[in-house]
Order: sequence, then C-alpha cells, then structure tokens
Amino acid sequence: MSFGRFSIIGIGRAAFFAIGCTLSNPAEDLKYLFPDMTSYKEDLKEFPKLADGKAQFQALRERLGSDLDPIYETYETPYTIYYVFKNSKKIGLVHGVNVPGKGGVIQVFLSVDPASAQVKKFFFQRLESSAADQLRSKEFRNQFDGVSLADFYKHDYYVAAKSKTSVDKIAKITPPKIDPSGRQDYDATIRGIRKNLLLLDFFVYDRKFEPFFERAKQKAKQ
Amino acid sequence: MFQFTRFIGLAIKNLRRRMIRTALTISGVALAVAVAVSLGGFMLGYKGAIDKSIEMLGFQVMIMAKGCPYEAATMMLKGGTGLIYLPSDTYDKVKSDPDIESITPIFVGIAQKEGSGIRDEASQEKSFTIISGIDAPSFMTMKPWMKFKGGPGFEGGRWFSAGSKDEVVIGFEAAEYEQRKVGDIFYASITPAGSMTPVRHEFKVVGILERTGTQDDGTVFMPIDTAREYFNRPNQLTILGIKLKEFNQFKMHEFESRWLKLPEVQVVGLQQVKNTLVALVATAQTMIAAVAAIAVIVALIGVINTILMSVYERTGEIGIMKALGARRRDIFELIWLETLVICLLGALLGCLLAMLGTGAVEKAIKSLANLGVNGSIVNITPGVLGYAVLGAVILGFLGGLYPAWRAASMRPVDAIREGAV
Repeated sequence: MSFGRFSIIGIGRAAFFAIGCTLSNPAEDLKYLFPDMTSYKEDLKEFPKLADGKAQFQALRERLGSDLDPIYETYETPYTIYYVFKNSKKIGLVHGVNVPGKGGVIQVFLSVDPASAQVKKFFFQRLESSAADQLRSKEFRNQFDGVSLADFYKHDYYVAAKSKTSVDKIAKITPPKIDPSGRQDYDATIRGIRKNLLLLDFFVYDRKFEPFFERAKQKAKQ
Repeated sequence: MFQFTRFIGLAIKNLRRRMIRTALTISGVALAVAVAVSLGGFMLGYKGAIDKSIEMLGFQVMIMAKGCPYEAATMMLKGGTGLIYLPSDTYDKVKSDPDIESITPIFVGIAQKEGSGIRDEASQEKSFTIISGIDAPSFMTMKPWMKFKGGPGFEGGRWFSAGSKDEVVIGFEAAEYEQRKVGDIFYASITPAGSMTPVRHEFKVVGILERTGTQDDGTVFMPIDTAREYFNRPNQLTILGIKLKEFNQFKMHEFESRWLKLPEVQVVGLQQVKNTLVALVATAQTMIAAVAAIAVIVALIGVINTILMSVYERTGEIGIMKALGARRRDIFELIWLETLVICLLGALLGCLLAMLGTGAVEKAIKSLANLGVNGSIVNITPGVLGYAVLGAVILGFLGGLYPAWRAASMRPVDAIREGAV
C-alpha cells in the first residue's frame, strides 16, 4: 500500500497532532523537478517557534481570507521548505501545504524562483477528487507559471475596485471543465496555492509583498 | 567483606591496565547478551501480541471458506488479500445453532485508491484499501470496545445506517493515512466480480474510530449488503465470527463436528489460530536461539581467552604476590572476580543495547516475515533483563574457573622465573 508521506508531531498526551506536508521522496522528487540539482536542504518552519508566531498566524488567516482547518491548518502545523542547489548556487525552492478538499486533504506544492518568488511549477502530491484528472492536467497547472503572491493581492484589489483589467493574472485563470461535484476541490486548490505563497512570503521573503496586501485592504475598506 | 572490596578494586585495576582488550571482550559479551535479550523479548512479545490480537477479534470461533488455516489466521488478525468466499446462506444455517451466543457476518473486499506523488503519472499508480462489509449491531456486540473518535474534525461520529449506499466508517490508521475527517468524502474504486473495470464510488465518512491496535484500525467499514452489491457478490460472505455461550475444548469440538458437514466451510477456533501462528514462528525462533547460543559461546571463549592471556602475562606478578604471602584462594578469587566483572559489565551493556534497539529489531523482524499480528512484538521486561544478567554472571563464574585455577596453581618460584624471562 502506498500513501503520501506526512509528518506528525505529537503535542502533549492527548490525541492532538499537527500534520505537516512533506515530499514523499525528497531526493527523488527534487531530482525529478531539478535534474541539475546537486544537493538540497530542508528548513522546518513552525509558528510557535517564531517570536511573533501568534500574530503571524493571525496575519496568515487574514491574508488568506478564510478560516483555517482545525486539524490540517493549526498553529502547530510544521512547514518544510526545500532549498535546491546546483553546487553552491540556489536554483529552486519547493514548498507544500495541506488544504482540506472534498475528499480529504489536498497537498499543493509549488516550485518557486528563489529570487522573484514567482511560481515556476505547481503540482499536487496528493489529490483525491472527482476532478482529479482535470486539476492535474498540465493545461490547468501551467496557467500558474510566473504567478506570485503579488498577483493574488492585486486580484483582491481589482475585485474590491470592481474593475476588470488585463493585468489581473488571477482573473485570467480558466478553471478546468469540471462538473459541480469537483468545484470544491478547485476552490481548495486555488486556496492552497495562495496559502503556499503566503507562507513562503512569511517564512522566506520577509513579507516583501505586504504593500500589495495593504493596498488591497485599503481599497476593500473604501 | 573488606578483603572482597579490595579484590574488586584490584580486579578492576587489572582490567583497566589492558583497556582495549577489556573493552573488546566486554563488547563481545554485550553483543551476545543483546541478542539473547532481544530473542527473549521477541518470544514474550510475540506471544503477547497474538493473545491480544485474538482477544481483540471479539469472537472465539470463525467459519470461513476451506483453505489454508494460516491464511485464515492472518486474514483475520491482520487483514489479508487472499480472499475466498463462502455462500451467504451459511449464515442462515449456522445462526440458529443452540450453542451460539452471538454471531456476525463479515464480507471483506479490496478496493483501489488513487495513487499520490508529484509526477504527472502518479494518479495512475494505484494503492489499495481493505473494505469490510459488516452488520454494525452484531459486529459491535462482538467488539463493544470500539468507540468513535472525538475532538475537532471528528465530532458526531456514528455508524452508517443499515441500508446506506454511500456512508463509511474508517478505522483510526486508515483515517490517518487517508487524512480524513468526519464529513469528508471517501473515494474507492471497486472492481465488481466478473468485470475488469473498476467502478468509482463516492462515500461520506460518518465516523472515525478510536485506535484499537488491531486490524480494524486499517479498515474501511460499510454496510455488508452495500459491500456485497458493489463487489457483485450478493450471495457471498468472507467470515462468520462466532461467540459461543460456553467456550471449552469439548464444546468447540461439538460445534465443529456439527458444522464441518457443510462441504465448503472450515470451522477455525482461535486457539487453533494461535497454535498455527506460534508453530509457524517456532522454527524461526529456534534458529535465532541457536544463533544466540553460538554468540554466547563465542563470547564466553573470548572471555576465557582474555583472562588466560592476562594470567600468562602476569605470571611474574602472580609469583611475587604468592611470595609475599598471597594464598591460592586469594589468587583464585582475584582472577575469578576479573572474569565476573567483564561478564557483568557486558551483560549490563548488552541489556542497554537491547532496550535501545527494540524498535530496530521489531522493524527488522516485521520486514522479514509476515507474523500475522499487529502491535508490538518485542517486549523486553525486567524479568528478561534479570535472567540475561543472571545468565551472564553464571557463565562468568563457570568461564573464570579454569583461568583462576591456572593462576592459583602456579608455584611462586616458577612463576617469578617464568615472569622474568
């Protein structure tokens, strides 16, 4: 039997676990994504270990715009960021998150450009859905190439401003042709990509896209 | 007492003079003891695991299709894939037996799950899950300890309604692997008997069970009629689990002889299952015991060799000790104590190694063979450790006899002369 790998960190004696999202076979998977890779490094991030963890977690919820799952998106959930190297040069950054879908957890992974934080490749590790084939299709996934967290914030801004523009990359994304039963998993996927980019912005990029969020927030208040 | 303490101090001092040799000898003893302790822990733990697994089945007797009793045993205890079915009217025939206190029919099938992985072809790689079709009320009569998990995401767990076509209850481990909560959808592709094409079904998870430490933890439960319909085996069953009003060898024999007349079934008592499993592992245990015995003998030879070498190297020294008034008995005790110290230290280190390595030993055994049980199979108790230390000390006493006698028998003049050469 094969199952997606997930890490469990026990918190206390009670049956309470924080379930993270890691690659099933990091060495193989990363080599598949980056054939030039010579080494990789794992960096485990957890909100409780941050000085302002509670505030950051609250900020994540606010920027995500939805409640967090009580099991798979808890304060204690660990996040593993994979840094990929070609000799001493950092050539990639890979990160996965769990998001609750209709058929259990969906594991949404992003490979981003270390310098620009733009998506280079989006893929699933675990996805059980009536729309699995459509969501896994390259046509759908390739639409996210080059997208960054700034694009999600900009999209929020344009939605608040009720304006349509050709620079809104998120608005241009075409959902795959799925029947209504798969819609929940499509929405979970989009939420997963946004959450993934948000966490990377928090943990790796020192919240460099924050001005875009503030702008969208101001617009929404108007 | 004072003299004994002094001798101990002297023995340790002598051993420390040849540190590397002493360390290597102690390591040899430690390894032998670790093997022996692990084996003892395995023998004890495996028996305990079988007892627990059988007890947690909830029934004492099962009726299943004729076949290998070992397959039957492992299928019930661990969940197997070699499925043979019996006609469902067996249930109607057997259920009115006057000796039966309770009976539950079970249908087991294997469903396909979508694979996971980051590659584009990952979804094509299928995994599998065990589906158990049950009659919830009678099943629960057998296993009253089964409880629904509570807490965030698991509230409101319940059994499916009898005629439900789209509800499942998931065992603890299956839910953890599948990452499901109450209310989630569970997808399973089932290939109906007689067909080559799997049909994908969508179920709602209505309950997640607490951990039981049995095969039930890895199982997905659904109503028996639904399971039979989806697997296209409407008139078949996998097992009948039975609890007798009075369970003893005589009653079991009576019951067995009544129902063995049915041509296609076998009646398996759980004592029989236990014996089958124990017998299967007994051969392996004997082999491991032989290896452990060899390891102990080699370690003992190593100890004798080390002490003898030490005696020969210290011939002159022993001669001087005797010349200064040491008695035969003093020399004997000193050398004997050195042997004892080596064996005792080796035993303690070996016990520590065995305790630290329990997980690894268990993993190795489980990877080598399907033992037919869930849960821990290596149980290192204080009793096992005590016997190991005692055994090592006794062997040390015996092993030290010859070198101690050899040293004690030296004549002072000869010893001093030989030592001076």
